[in-house]
Amino acid sequence: MGNPILVEPDTELIRDVMEAGGGDLKKCFQCATCASTCSLSPEESTFPRKQMLLAQWGLKNELLKDPAPWLCFYCGECSKSCPRQANPGETMMALRRYLTTQYDWTGLSRLMYRSAFWEIGILALVAAFVVALFTLPQSFGFGLLSRSGPLPLSNVMLDKFAPKEMVHLGDTIMAALLSLLLLANAARMFLGLTRDGNIPARLYFAQIGSLIVQGVTQMQWKNCNDSDASRNWIRHLFLVSGYATIFTLVVVFLPWFQIQDSSFHWTSILGYYSTAVLLVTTAWMVLDRIGKRTEMHRFSHLSDWLFPILLFLTAVTGILVNIFRLLNLPMPTYVTYVVHMAIAVPMLVVEVPFGKWSHLLYRPLGIFVATVKRKALESASEEAAVTGQALASNG
Amino acid sequence: MDKKLGLYICSGCSISDSVDVDKLAIMAQAEYKPAVCQTHTFLCGDEGVAIIRRDVEREKVDAVVIAACSPRAKAESFSFDPLMVLERVNLREQVAWCHEAKHEDTQALAEDYIRMGLVKAGKMEPLEALPEDTISRTVLVVGGGIAGVSAALDSAAAGYDVVLVEKQPQLGGFMKGLKKAFPTRAPYTEASSDGLTSKLQAVVSNPRVKVFCSTRIVKTEGQPGMFDVTMEGASGTSVHRVGSIVMATGWQPYDAAKLGALGYGLPNVITNVELEQMAARGQITRPSDGKQAKRVLFLQCAGSREQDHLAYCSSVCCMTTLKQTEYIREQDSQAEVYVIYRDIVTPGPYEKYYRKVQDHPLNFFMKGKVTQVAAAADGRVQVSLDSELLGAPMQVTVDLVVLATGMVPNSADGPAIRALRDANAKLARNESETQCKDAEAIIAQMKPHEGTEILNLTYRQGPDLPVLQGGFPDSKFVCFPYESMRTGIYAAGAVRAPMDAALTEEDAGGAVMKAIQCIELASRGQAVHPRTGDLSYPSFNLQRCTQCKRCTEECPFGSLDEDEKGTPKFNPYRCRRCGICMGACPERIVSFKNYSVDMIASMVKAIEVPDEFEEKPRVLVLACENDAYPALDMAGQARQQYDASVRIIPLRCLGSMNIVWIADALSRGIDGVLLLGCRFGDDYECHYMRGSELANRRLENVKETLQRLQLESERIHLTQLGMDDYGRLPDIINEFAARIREIGPNPYKGF
Repeated sequence: MGNPILVEPDTELIRDVMEAGGGDLKKCFQCATCASTCSLSPEESTFPRKQMLLAQWGLKNELLKDPAPWLCFYCGECSKSCPRQANPGETMMALRRYLTTQYDWTGLSRLMYRSAFWEIGILALVAAFVVALFTLPQSFGFGLLSRSGPLPLSNVMLDKFAPKEMVHLGDTIMAALLSLLLLANAARMFLGLTRDGNIPARLYFAQIGSLIVQGVTQMQWKNCNDSDASRNWIRHLFLVSGYATIFTLVVVFLPWFQIQDSSFHWTSILGYYSTAVLLVTTAWMVLDRIGKRTEMHRFSHLSDWLFPILLFLTAVTGILVNIFRLLNLPMPTYVTYVVHMAIAVPMLVVEVPFGKWSHLLYRPLGIFVATVKRKALESASEEAAVTGQALASNG
Repeated sequence: MDKKLGLYICSGCSISDSVDVDKLAIMAQAEYKPAVCQTHTFLCGDEGVAIIRRDVEREKVDAVVIAACSPRAKAESFSFDPLMVLERVNLREQVAWCHEAKHEDTQALAEDYIRMGLVKAGKMEPLEALPEDTISRTVLVVGGGIAGVSAALDSAAAGYDVVLVEKQPQLGGFMKGLKKAFPTRAPYTEASSDGLTSKLQAVVSNPRVKVFCSTRIVKTEGQPGMFDVTMEGASGTSVHRVGSIVMATGWQPYDAAKLGALGYGLPNVITNVELEQMAARGQITRPSDGKQAKRVLFLQCAGSREQDHLAYCSSVCCMTTLKQTEYIREQDSQAEVYVIYRDIVTPGPYEKYYRKVQDHPLNFFMKGKVTQVAAAADGRVQVSLDSELLGAPMQVTVDLVVLATGMVPNSADGPAIRALRDANAKLARNESETQCKDAEAIIAQMKPHEGTEILNLTYRQGPDLPVLQGGFPDSKFVCFPYESMRTGIYAAGAVRAPMDAALTEEDAGGAVMKAIQCIELASRGQAVHPRTGDLSYPSFNLQRCTQCKRCTEECPFGSLDEDEKGTPKFNPYRCRRCGICMGACPERIVSFKNYSVDMIASMVKAIEVPDEFEEKPRVLVLACENDAYPALDMAGQARQQYDASVRIIPLRCLGSMNIVWIADALSRGIDGVLLLGCRFGDDYECHYMRGSELANRRLENVKETLQRLQLESERIHLTQLGMDDYGRLPDIINEFAARIREIGPNPYKGF
């Protein structure tokens, strides 16, 4: 069985998880009804029963070694079937929130998850910085993107207001920075998960395909037990497609996508697709959350609201920029452009490395490590069987 | 046999669809010439019963045979003078409902049953009530803890005086030493601080209750209704006449000295009892240095549910631990409390208490097996365990370990003490060398029981109650909780089974009800369970007694004492009317007015046995009336069909079976004898506790005889069953009948 777990309950962990949504987790008495109900939990390592216990005991190392919270897609069937109403579904969500705060080396994630003041505060701070970038006169040295010369007010001239090369550069730098932060956190996650096992490297490479497929399609979701699984998966997939499209347009193809005057360009059509998808899916999600329509929506952390709302507002302001530009209304265009940036940038800065958006990497990575570990177990037991047979036939 | 037999045959309930009732009447009239022989279509109705009653009143009939439904049905309809001779013949459940209608074998079966019924009734005598005796209506309660005090109060409230005896200087028992008790009121989330004061005051001030503290029982003589109890103590010696006894002597904690493997012996490893005492006195601290314990670990099932220690769960240790976690938290809100359990037992409303304690973030529960408890630095204790829930070993270092140990009943093992005394007597008499050697071996084995007497009964079979493994009074507790193997003595509380205070209070009430029932039945000369209300009792023709002592030894209830020569002395109020003595006696000197060796033997001889050429075997089934006969009835109710070669005779208990019946059966040409009775062994269900076991043992002797007579020993078979096995009965019977057919006809047919 290996070395014994040395018990030193991490009371901070217990408090964090209980405050992050796992408030009922002490009610769990380990009957395993949740694990039996879950259709995603693999036979050799069922969840969420064990995670409830690890959280109850504050066994931080064990939790950091466990990819299980990321295998869950929160259908909520476990919570529905729990005889003690210990809410394992929300506890797994709380664990995901907790783990997000632990992977982050800066400490900002934990700060923001535990405090609405800081979460909103930092969003506001970044928003203010963005507004300042666009509005302060050049003399202050901030005026990277501020107008070089008088603001063109007769016709829309976006490039004069926000030169696309500058914006593109800014976008690229931000994307790189945020990706690096996220990757660093993911590396910490990976190290924590794989520290113990002696899993041969080739197994990791063999499963890379699944990492990419899961990351892109989130296919695992449709295996969830509940009747809403397929619907939720498809809705989320559309959301992802919308986001991926606009991300590519803005980060890679900005020079073509940001049209400087009121003329029409075909890339806008892709933009319309994104906008439509983003608006519909995020509004739908928010409505579901308001109506507490399913188990997953019964509890909402601040981070659960902020994410879809900010995305919604980003899409709204984005389409408004397009509309005002096409209508050749200069001031509204410029103002909306700044507002759009002042929403989108803070959202990305806070969500991608430190907030809920990080799940785009953490979840596939968790599934990946879990798959690799399972393959390692299988090949180990195959080897053992072969060795056993060899010994038996020799003996 | 100049009885005026009245035979009444009912043709209702599809009996007439199955057999020709008129032919039965004709046969009976011809062969037995009863004074009255009548059929009726609805005998249990008002008209039918009135006919019988009228015949009895007009003295046309003084012995009634009713051939109708099972004797277990319609008892309230066929209710006459309880002393009158009444025999019921089962034509419904055991003929009409379970055999092929209008078949010649079914008719033959019905005929035989009527013959058997008439023959038995011919030999029965009207019952005579026991001579009037003065029955004491006082209840003796042994033990002044919560069980005894509750029993005393319940008994007094029901109008029965109480003598309450307690060996300690004060009443209250174990409950007195507790800091708090389990929750007693909804919502069951607060430990109770109510205490026993009001109850103790009530019992001490009750005019019906006489309390004797610092007193022990030195002698209990007599029988239910008239026990003479001699007590010695602080207030001198006194003798009390009581009607029944409630044993409420409670429990003591399991000896933790045997739990060295769990760390007991280390300074900071204590038991739950020791923790409770510490808490009641004041602060909970580490015994080694008196410092506060920041981390406490409770080890559940310590020395319980183990082969090497106590085999059972004591049901209170989990709740005790939960209660004690709150003591610790009262002292230090930041203390970490660990509970390592195999299961958490919190029945009923106690579940709410479990939930409450579970909810605190610093109470850690883990299902696992502790593998090691070792000393760590600074007086701390390192506990290693295999966690079942995490599938991994764990290790935690704590300041204090509390072993949740179980309850051991405060009982005395009657048979063991008797064996010890008998062995000592043997040694004193200085008999042969082998006898002395055996005696010494017994003395060595039974030495721990020396001086443990509680009731000090002057019964031949021993001074205290027989006990089961674990020390709990032996009883057929599924049917008869509270009973013991001594009539009139009932156990209540933790001495009967491990239980908490709430259950103990209820238990005391139950035992008191049985104690009162015993007194009332004795005052009417009637038996207690299982034959509640039975007016018959055995009589012993002592002229022919050979002092073999089989009845004295085999009576499960010690009803028979002995004089110096070994002649049995019968105590009627101890008797349960099972007839085991009747079955044991080789001289057949024991009989009841309505149940005797001769009666059953005559019934066997009344069976018509076809000769071997007809190829119709006959199987005698002796069925005990407690489980087997009801099972047969239930098979009939379910219309299960089985072999019609059987002839069923109900017995009070298989233990009342006398071997001569088997001899008679075989010599008459009956091909096989099947005994159906309740299960015996460790998980016995025999309602008289030892009856079917005794029957089984006697069968071993029969098998030898059979072999000598060159009869196959498989012709005799004993099957153990429960009432719920009625579904299996057709198979049991049919298989036996098939086996008998295979073996072939009894060569003694026609002799």
